[in-house]
Amino acid sequence: MSPNGDKEMTMRMRRLLIPLFAFALVAAACGDDDDAGGDGGDGGATGGSDTGRVVLLTAMEPEEVDAVQAVLDDMINSEVDYTAEVEAAGNFEEQLQIRAEGGTLDLAAVPQPGAVRQLAADGSIVALEDLGFDIDELEEIFGEYYLSLGEYEGKHYGMPTNINLKSMVWYPKDDFDAAGYEVPETWDELIALSDQIVADGGTPWCVGFESEGATGWPATDWMEDLVLRTAGVEVYDQWVNHEIPFDDPAIKTAAERFGEILFTDGYVLGGAAASADLAFGDAPGPMFQDPPGCWLHRQASFINAFFGNFAEGLEAGVDYDWFPLPPIDQEGTLFAGEFTVVGSNRPEVKDFLDRFIADDVQCAMGSDEASSRISPNTNVGPDCYANQILADASEVLIDALENDTGRFDASDMMPPEVNSQFWTGMIEYVRGGPSVLDKVLADIEAAWS
Amino acid sequence: MALLLTIYLCFWLGPALLTGWLAAERGRSPRLWFALGLLFGLFALLAVGLAPRTERPVDGGDFEKLFRAVVAVVVVVVLPLLVSWAFDFTKSRDANRLAIVAVAIALGVLGVFALFWVMDQIVDRLPRGWRETVRPYVFVGPAVAVLSVFLIYPVVNTILISFKDRRGDRWVGLDNYEFVFTDPSMLRSLRNTAMWIVVVPAVALVVGLLFATLADRLQRGESIAKSVIFLPMAISFVGAAVTFRLIYSYRPEGFGSNVGVLNAIWTALGNEPVAWLTQRPWNNLLLMVIMIWMQTGFAMVVLSSAIKAIPDEIIEAARIDGASEWQVFRHITVPSILPTITVVTTYMVINALKVFDIVFVMGAPENNGTEVVAERMLTWFFTRQNQGYGAAVAVVLFIAVIPVMIANVRRFRAEEAIR
Repeated sequence: MSPNGDKEMTMRMRRLLIPLFAFALVAAACGDDDDAGGDGGDGGATGGSDTGRVVLLTAMEPEEVDAVQAVLDDMINSEVDYTAEVEAAGNFEEQLQIRAEGGTLDLAAVPQPGAVRQLAADGSIVALEDLGFDIDELEEIFGEYYLSLGEYEGKHYGMPTNINLKSMVWYPKDDFDAAGYEVPETWDELIALSDQIVADGGTPWCVGFESEGATGWPATDWMEDLVLRTAGVEVYDQWVNHEIPFDDPAIKTAAERFGEILFTDGYVLGGAAASADLAFGDAPGPMFQDPPGCWLHRQASFINAFFGNFAEGLEAGVDYDWFPLPPIDQEGTLFAGEFTVVGSNRPEVKDFLDRFIADDVQCAMGSDEASSRISPNTNVGPDCYANQILADASEVLIDALENDTGRFDASDMMPPEVNSQFWTGMIEYVRGGPSVLDKVLADIEAAWS
Repeated sequence: MALLLTIYLCFWLGPALLTGWLAAERGRSPRLWFALGLLFGLFALLAVGLAPRTERPVDGGDFEKLFRAVVAVVVVVVLPLLVSWAFDFTKSRDANRLAIVAVAIALGVLGVFALFWVMDQIVDRLPRGWRETVRPYVFVGPAVAVLSVFLIYPVVNTILISFKDRRGDRWVGLDNYEFVFTDPSMLRSLRNTAMWIVVVPAVALVVGLLFATLADRLQRGESIAKSVIFLPMAISFVGAAVTFRLIYSYRPEGFGSNVGVLNAIWTALGNEPVAWLTQRPWNNLLLMVIMIWMQTGFAMVVLSSAIKAIPDEIIEAARIDGASEWQVFRHITVPSILPTITVVTTYMVINALKVFDIVFVMGAPENNGTEVVAERMLTWFFTRQNQGYGAAVAVVLFIAVIPVMIANVRRFRAEEAIR
């Protein structure tokens, strides 16, 4: 090459450099995307590289991951030639979507039945039938209802692997016993207890509904519990599936029961209207004052994790305890939980899921005092739990699953628009009182359209 | 000639077919990889120096010819395998994350380098007169293409979605827009946003101008005073909102002492604690205070530098002519910095149009009547998963920004014309 050519070359290189550098940055950032389109074809059902690992993607807290991983290491990994791992993703929904579409999903623990059905509709997860599970057998273990929540076009996609109880009323046990109060067994007894507390100069209920953008959800839990208790499971299912309108008399009756607690003078600490501005995590606080500022607080099983904020060294079963929200005309138990879905039909994944739902592994999961998991496996008895609160909750839940009186959180199963309007409407009700109820229910009904 | 053509085809189509076949074998898109193969082939042709040039014909000895042939074979056979392997590697789960990043960057950078080199070579082969005319477009082209993908395509797509139903399956005409202009909550958000774009820039500007003018008079400590006011600018909107949540915090009677600063002051004056964030319509103003707090510093710093740029002679001349301080401010300072005021206002109006985080963090907008347009857009798009409504709100917001932009561009042009 001539010297002249070399010179021309360097000049050209120099001219090249600036746009090259700018474009390189952009291309480096998005270069890999080009290939994603080409790779999408093989889908989730057969995808997933054949590594010796089985990964369970979850939205768990770190402590829960450690507890579950310890059980897996102890009871599964020691016996098989693959390694089962629990992975907690901070951006769970996003990760789930990416892996399901990319075909790199082994298993995931999904908290909403709607998400399970959506994944099934996208064709990115494998049906339990296709994995070789016997559905009759599973129904025997988990109850027909819970299993049916993950059903899509006649096949089952969601394996119940965790359950938590929502119909819990917490109370300050030591003061409660000292005051001579009895745990109510019926709704009338609950109201009588509330009246008794008012007569004794106390305030029975603490309620708080504020939760930033999701403000109102604790009130929807109340409503669901009351629909179950006033109208029963059949009407509850019709309500969830919009086979009856949201402003149906049955639903209105439940809302009026809720109003009975909210709007009776002296029942709610600070008054019902103020509870809409009270963060749900702050609400149980007054129970631990001396004397208790309030005596009863209805909230799901996770709430005792907040109790440490109010007083040091509170002990379950001594300083506080809980009882199931009593039945009214019907029996019912409100719960939420997780469904494990399978993204890859590999023998080791199937083997893992088999072992994961087995009685012994599920039982071992409760042996850690710090664990907050309750097994939906009806063969796992209360003896498995080191924590008495969980053992009692498990008993109520297993009973509900076996007798088909348990129902999944309704608002989580309604379309997002309805769910959101349900939150908003409940806050309007809490603030506006009984006179706005008809409008509130009509507004939520309108969101279904 | 026929021989040359055959060699061409072998070199060019060979790798393309090879990579296409490899891709099909591995369940990849054969078409994409065939296209990539064409690029490899072109690369090979150029590397071997077979492509004719109008200038600088290939010369050199046998060794160089051999070298070029080896390079060509390497390009045709090894490169597709290497690139294919690299793509696989970036997707593997077990590999070291850093290694994956390094490979992905190498792939991207070298790919782009190859792209530009090839295009440059092609341009070199154009007739002399064309070359320098075409070259700029060839170099700018990819950037324009990327810009279109990330800017123009989303805009067009959003407009299309805004005429479809919640999942984007069916055309619904103007239904979504009807919703935007009839839903009570949406109407409140339009009203509130209108208030935001008037109140926030106005207050921030007036306070910022006041500080800038007064700070200019300080004997010393000007930079400290300005830094303190500028500090909130460094906080994110969400961070500021969380801070103010504590200031406005409220607990009903019986739920422990109120920890909010505002309620502490309020109760110290002998009043009952108030749930500030639910007091309509004042809660809107309380939210605006957050943005004003954050933006005043920006207005002040920019205006201050504009004030300092006013020539001292003009101000001195005015004073000698007997102008009062107010007259100097009114007739000299303000007109001199008017262009800066316009820029600052535009910036703040656009920021106020976009406000979302503050409203979203501060309780339930729909219950408190604090909805704003951008917040509605996110709520409908993500929380309620109604793409049609979300997109329609986005389009309305987009259209609302246009006049501000046009005004700004006009003013900028007018200014250029004066210079």
